[in-house]
Amino acid sequence: MATASVATSGVNVSAVSEQYNYDVIRKFTIMTLVWGAIGMFVGVYIASELAYPFLNFDIPYITFGRLRPVHTGAVIFGFGGSALFATSYYVVQRTCQARLFSDGMASFTFWGWQAIIVCAALGNVLGYSQGREYAEMEWPIDLMIEVVWVTYLIIFVGTLMKRKQPHIYVANWFYLAFILATALLHTFNNLAVPISLFSMKSYSLFSGAQDAMTQWWYGHNAVGFFLTAAFLGMMYYFVPKQAGRPVYSYRLSVLHFWAIIFLYMWAGAHHLHWTAIPDWTSTLAATFSIMLLLPSWGGMINGILTLSGAWDKLRTDPVMRFLIVALSFYGMSTFEGPMMSLKDVNALSHYTDWTIGHVHSGALGWVAMISFGSLYHLAPRLWNTPMYSQKLINVHFWLATIGILLYIVAMWISGIMQGLMWRAFDDFGNLQYSFVESVAAAHPFYVMRALGGAFFLSGMLLMCYNMYKTIRKGSTEQQVEISPVAA
Amino acid sequence: MSQDKIKTPTTTGHVWDDDLQELTNPLPNWWVWGFYITFVFTIVYWLFYPAWPIGHTYTKGIPGWNSITYTATTVDGKEVEKTTHWNMRSKFMHEMNEQQAEQKKWFDKVAGSSYEDVSKDADLMQFVNSAGKTLFSDNCAPCHQSGGQGKVGFSPNLTDDHWQYGGTYDQIHTTIVGGRRGYMPPFKEVLNDQQITQLANYVLSLSGEPHDETAAAAGANIFKGDSAACYYCHGADAKGRIELGSANLTDKIWLWADVPAAKDATAKLDAVKHVISGGLDRGVMPNWDHRLKPEQIKLLTVYVHDSLGGGK
Repeated sequence: MATASVATSGVNVSAVSEQYNYDVIRKFTIMTLVWGAIGMFVGVYIASELAYPFLNFDIPYITFGRLRPVHTGAVIFGFGGSALFATSYYVVQRTCQARLFSDGMASFTFWGWQAIIVCAALGNVLGYSQGREYAEMEWPIDLMIEVVWVTYLIIFVGTLMKRKQPHIYVANWFYLAFILATALLHTFNNLAVPISLFSMKSYSLFSGAQDAMTQWWYGHNAVGFFLTAAFLGMMYYFVPKQAGRPVYSYRLSVLHFWAIIFLYMWAGAHHLHWTAIPDWTSTLAATFSIMLLLPSWGGMINGILTLSGAWDKLRTDPVMRFLIVALSFYGMSTFEGPMMSLKDVNALSHYTDWTIGHVHSGALGWVAMISFGSLYHLAPRLWNTPMYSQKLINVHFWLATIGILLYIVAMWISGIMQGLMWRAFDDFGNLQYSFVESVAAAHPFYVMRALGGAFFLSGMLLMCYNMYKTIRKGSTEQQVEISPVAA
Repeated sequence: MSQDKIKTPTTTGHVWDDDLQELTNPLPNWWVWGFYITFVFTIVYWLFYPAWPIGHTYTKGIPGWNSITYTATTVDGKEVEKTTHWNMRSKFMHEMNEQQAEQKKWFDKVAGSSYEDVSKDADLMQFVNSAGKTLFSDNCAPCHQSGGQGKVGFSPNLTDDHWQYGGTYDQIHTTIVGGRRGYMPPFKEVLNDQQITQLANYVLSLSGEPHDETAAAAGANIFKGDSAACYYCHGADAKGRIELGSANLTDKIWLWADVPAAKDATAKLDAVKHVISGGLDRGVMPNWDHRLKPEQIKLLTVYVHDSLGGGK
């Protein structure tokens, strides 16, 4: 439906679309919405399965184990990835005053990336998985990712080299770091030997604890670079733009950029506390996580203080509200993370729902909220028309915020409860609870989590509707306004 | 939009995309000090725990600062006390030592008493219920369900008065130690459909379920006859034989054919026919003698007999 209207707007030739390639950005923007809706729906569904297991309906394709990577793949790489492609292509062009390095290659990254998400989801549903969290895709899909990603890197660097500005804007440092780091992580974590040329199945090049450490070096830095650095890039463009204020401190941005880049890579092993990895590895991971706290907060304060002198915008501008609340959740979850990486806190939190709550306060609160805010800023500029409804943006904001709060509060309670139940001894020195008792105790919080997810999803759907109406309006108005200019 | 924010001395002087600028504010003091504090924390943490690899070894923290003492049993059965630098294994051992010391007093009492004496000692039974619940939940409940109520078509109910393999302490103990394997041969090769229907009617009649009288009478003859020889395992009175674990067909307890849940007489008949024609090779309980310690098995025996109820 929406794709059709993009096609018509793409036909129009305006001054802007000669200077910049907006077509690929529009496509990625639309797919961000599509994958957001699909991925979050699957998330709500599997959350409901955990609360009410009959929802499996004894169909293997829709069991939790297969749908969970579909959910993570669709929201991280589909929703988050498309949002990053869209915004990075927009930001790099506007801040370099240069058109993308190659339209053809940009179009290739669009179709390639979408094909990857679809193949990954189908593969997971059919039961193909490497069993590596967030890297479940089997080797043929990994190769597709490799090709698309290198193309992305070439486009991004190529555009930077064409820039008509002497300096590279801070947002682009973060985007470039994200593209480079993701290439590195993806390549090394997916080193595997296929059992034959015509089989989807492959075996990892690493084994045992080393395999686990490779996976969590990847997993943690996927969070660090894909879900953090890249979205900080988004923040560094859209927050000052939407606020109409300069970035608070150049020096802070330089320092926290390099600190994040250096420190993140060491912290992955904190996902493997209390396992078979060496104790010293665990310690180093914990301490580097602690040292990451202030660099992470550097991004938050630089964003929030950018607003100083324009605080009234929080009252009047729902888009600004998305951006600032995103930064607040970013600050909160980057405090929570280092705390959870301490050995003794982790002894309580590991393997519990607390971890799930933590990742969602980052994923929903930071990644999704900053993306929503950025897209609401972006869409009117891509389709040359104000958003269809400011009121719906506001409703979306509240649905999303309530949803996140329900979600993380539920997971905090059930997570800490699980951690305490699993380690409780009675006076005889016996374990006080069996595992299944902790499962039963978590049930109400699983219901609450599913409800929180449903709130968040309904906000997402509202955004899709608002965007659809905006795009429809945009393309028709544009034809009236633009055609005289073009002629 | 861009006009009102002209370059002031406080920006870096660079402008992107019409109006993007950066101020030259210094780093916030609290941020800088916070950053330093995390460094200090880190160094202290490194002094408490194993932290940096050096060749084939690693730093172990300042000696004596964070050491752990625990007792372990060597291969030749000697108890030794060890003190090491902090490490996960020692921490685990240390924590388990504390609990095991408490548990051991009670387990020793269980091991040193007869089943009946354990059963009569209210304090000891409190321990049996506490330890038994966990042992049962972690080992037995996956099949017998969390309360031992079993599941039709899968595992026997341990809370009723019926015991296929016997419900005395010794019989339950034997079951846990050695496991059990229920088997009934398929009869579809030996009997035709009509005969199986007659037999199923007879089996239903034994429990007072709806059945066809004539067919049941014919079924009784097959049951006692030598072509199928049902009586050989189930006994001439159809009450089962404990030494074989064959089912008592007269007690209205159904383990494999889900007669109580069948919606009508035809479905009940079909359920029984299905078992007779196909036989059973699924009633497998694993043996636990190498997975649980003798005193744990003894405790579980009392738990199943006394606490789940119905030991007879």
